[in-house]
Amino acid sequence: MEKIINFSADYARYVIKGGTKFYTWIGFLGLLAMGALYAFYLQNTEGLIVTGMTSQIHDGLYFANLVFLVGVAAGAVTIVFPAYVYHHKAMHEVTVLGEMLAISAVIMVMLFVFAHMGRPDRLWHMVPLIGIFNLPGSMLAWDVLALTGYLVLNFICGFYYLYTKYSGTKVNNSYFMPLVYISIVWALSIHTVTAFLISTMPSRPMWHHSMMPIRFIATAFAAGPCLIILAFMVIRNNTKMWIQDSAINLLATIVTWCLGLALFLTMSEIVVELYARTEHANGLYYLMFGLNGLTSLVPWFWSSLVFMLVAFVMFLIPSVRSNYKLLPIACVLAFAGIWIEKGMGLIVPGFIPTPIGEVTEYYPTIIEVVMSLGNWAIGFLILTVLLKGAIGILVGDIKMPGSAAAGASQ
Amino acid sequence: MLSASSLMGAAALMTQTDEPKATTEWAEHFQKNYRLMTDEEKAESRDRLERRYSAQYGKQVTVDTTPALPGVLMGYALNIRKCIGCRRCVKACVAENNQSRGEEPGQRIEWIQVLKMERGEFSPDKMEHGYPEGLGIQVGGNAYAPAGQVLEGQYHYEPEAVPEKDSTYMPIACMQCEKPPCVKVCPVRTTYREADGPVVIDYNWCIGCRMCMGACPYWARRINLTTPILPKEEMNPVTHYLGNRPRMRGVVEKCHWCLQRTRQGRYPACVEVCPVGARKFGNLLDPQSEVSLILARKNVFRLKAELNTFPKFFYFYD
Amino acid sequence: MKKLTLSAMLLTLLCSVLPAVFAQEPAAAPAPADAASAPAQPPDIICFESRKGASEVTKRDLKPGWPNVKCSSKTGAVLWWGDPFDGTVSMGDMPLLGHIPKGNAVVKPRSEKLAILPLCGVACHNGLVPPTLPKTKKPVPIPTMEGLVPELKNLQHGRERIWCLDCHHTNQRNKLVDNFGDPVSIDQPQLLCGKCHGDKLRDWRDGIHGKRIGEWVSTGKKRWFTCTECHNPHNVQDGARNRGFIQIAPESPPQLPKGMKDAKHELEHAVAH
Repeated sequence: MEKIINFSADYARYVIKGGTKFYTWIGFLGLLAMGALYAFYLQNTEGLIVTGMTSQIHDGLYFANLVFLVGVAAGAVTIVFPAYVYHHKAMHEVTVLGEMLAISAVIMVMLFVFAHMGRPDRLWHMVPLIGIFNLPGSMLAWDVLALTGYLVLNFICGFYYLYTKYSGTKVNNSYFMPLVYISIVWALSIHTVTAFLISTMPSRPMWHHSMMPIRFIATAFAAGPCLIILAFMVIRNNTKMWIQDSAINLLATIVTWCLGLALFLTMSEIVVELYARTEHANGLYYLMFGLNGLTSLVPWFWSSLVFMLVAFVMFLIPSVRSNYKLLPIACVLAFAGIWIEKGMGLIVPGFIPTPIGEVTEYYPTIIEVVMSLGNWAIGFLILTVLLKGAIGILVGDIKMPGSAAAGASQ
Repeated sequence: MLSASSLMGAAALMTQTDEPKATTEWAEHFQKNYRLMTDEEKAESRDRLERRYSAQYGKQVTVDTTPALPGVLMGYALNIRKCIGCRRCVKACVAENNQSRGEEPGQRIEWIQVLKMERGEFSPDKMEHGYPEGLGIQVGGNAYAPAGQVLEGQYHYEPEAVPEKDSTYMPIACMQCEKPPCVKVCPVRTTYREADGPVVIDYNWCIGCRMCMGACPYWARRINLTTPILPKEEMNPVTHYLGNRPRMRGVVEKCHWCLQRTRQGRYPACVEVCPVGARKFGNLLDPQSEVSLILARKNVFRLKAELNTFPKFFYFYD
Repeated sequence: MKKLTLSAMLLTLLCSVLPAVFAQEPAAAPAPADAASAPAQPPDIICFESRKGASEVTKRDLKPGWPNVKCSSKTGAVLWWGDPFDGTVSMGDMPLLGHIPKGNAVVKPRSEKLAILPLCGVACHNGLVPPTLPKTKKPVPIPTMEGLVPELKNLQHGRERIWCLDCHHTNQRNKLVDNFGDPVSIDQPQLLCGKCHGDKLRDWRDGIHGKRIGEWVSTGKKRWFTCTECHNPHNVQDGARNRGFIQIAPESPPQLPKGMKDAKHELEHAVAH
């Protein structure tokens, strides 16, 4: 126990120290985070009326971000899988960084859940034994189980590994490897359950098709690695850690395939829905062309499509993909395109029209934007802290007093 | 972290505000799901609520806890040939059920929505619309014009008088399904189907996740986006725990067939007010009730029956 | 470091607590207490139950805070009854309604609304068949009658195949009449109307047509709305499209949700053309 406290203390001590760039970044994130706290306060006093949500469109920016971030969290598996199943050496070195990303992403998801709920003070009602946890009926209950489990898994795997590095001991593979394999499968399942959350409702024809989970996974494995690539670039330029080209190249390859698959699935959906153009296609039609003269999401859809297509072409061309000056641009385009398409472009049109045909529009309010930015900021804050500490341990800057340097073991 | 913050919040509340009110809110915060309460806990909860509501609205408020009536399965029938779209059912429901009412968007809640559908017409000048002959793609003609009964509904119609020429009207509210999709998705089991038929919500247990609102194919449920605005003079003091007692911010509500009335044997408010007698209510297990006779005699259908929700709200025409 | 971690944890806890603390505060009570009670008697609120002009009710409190009716401020219609049986009397014997326990079928007597009804029996017609009874069976315009019932100038019932004395008793003008020439109470118009409108009568007796308020149990106490409470027998064809029910003003539409300026888009059609 004392060792763990020392570990945490050393970790924290290391993380707190940094240069001007670091403090500016943390300060900026902290400021945004304050905004989220204020927005949360407003929502818990005045209610969700401070957002743009209505009874007609009752899942907005928060749910969109939530869904997207579950994907990003699942995307960490694109590091873990090659590292441990294919023994990709370069990936193996950075696996724990992926796990740190997963932890931060899941925490962001939970923050957005809190923002989304009508009564977050009553979330204890979901805790088994003191509340009621509706398994196996409720998909949301499964989702909570999956997300909590994933958080715990990544926490254990990531920090156990870091602890072994910190203390210079060997990883006990008989405990560690099964957990890793479970976390690989679990990563897929968190995002599948999130897809099931919305795809199992026949009242929402835009979502009610079996393609939803595969589309989620494909876009997750495109967006997640994009973020990871960007993070790796930042790490290369700002820390002592050098991440090998082969790791980044493998991630870029994964993005290429998954982005291609995602675009293919989008095309498939468009063809199937718009060929017969039934009333079930009204949601997609609203997104693409507007409905009844209401067109606020149309420019978003088309720009997301352009972003994803351009990004896909960029990723497809090997010379562009391996050019580390152009790769970040492609990553940003892909990330943004997928965020739009999977977030606002999937969630909001699902409610337009309502199941009985009323067409309305949704405009996020400033409070919603402030809360969302703030939640992202808190997530990035946690990510920065975790990554910094993890990198510190990996390069040997943090080690238990009296133990061998990290590089010596495993 | 959750319960700790609630505890501390409630504790802080107790020191801030009026003692009895604070104590009731604290206890209310930690009460169990209604179905799991013992009779004593139910009685205690009812007393607490009666005291709180009476203090809040300045009148003697009763909170009924009558359980499901044995031998009863409530059913509803609506004659769509008769509906004239006057919306009195909507307003009667609001007069009875203590919904939030306010001027800011999102503050006014109405459980019934009346859908107006126009009859379009076939017109000769549309005949040549679409692709020309001979290409083998048979599209065009009057397909692109509203003709016959137009399915796209209007909700915000406001004519001088109803029914308007060439319009039909269809009110929609909770269908009280026998296999409710909303019940299935609730993560905390706060919404459930009572033994005598209606689907109810324990407002004190609802976490406001709105999964039920997404799952309902009839758009029957509403969310309280803010603390409900309910003037004291308009508050109906005769309430039921699962029925029309005043709700709070962040919880979902919907039609419950006026439990405070139906459990005491009276017709729901919408049934009583309909000026054309389009709405009928009764016990489906009683072959002499008007609803059973309608099912036996009239042409009856249900909305979105293919979704296998098995609504107990039947539409008929004669 | 421990101190810092501890203070950081405390800060986080506090920050998470603060919203919950303020969250429990109830909203300021709406509607500040009205200044003084109304200095003078406010004017009576009168609303109509079904047919405007034929079913007016004055709002009053049955108990403090429990009115007999709630009225719509927009259309003047009754939206809600505090006591469904307020002002009702027993329906009397009705064929095929014998299974209803005695006293459970009540109606609001129309005779009370027709203030001059007692006079009709005695004032002009005094129990005798007037010698001026037209042989042509067409109503003779009499200023008094026209003043009382203006729609008689153009009786719209049966497309000119029925006339006054098909429904009204020849010499007991405060009563209706059946095929045997026997008087029918004006509070039991169903016995008369059902002669021609038998399918409606059957449905009405079963509760499918028309309106009943009160207890939903099939043998429960209900106030039945009789035919003339909803249909004007002298003018059923007005608004022929409404099947005998005059057009009325609707209540207000639902509130526009946030994000919508108006509802004009409803008038456009979703399927492209």
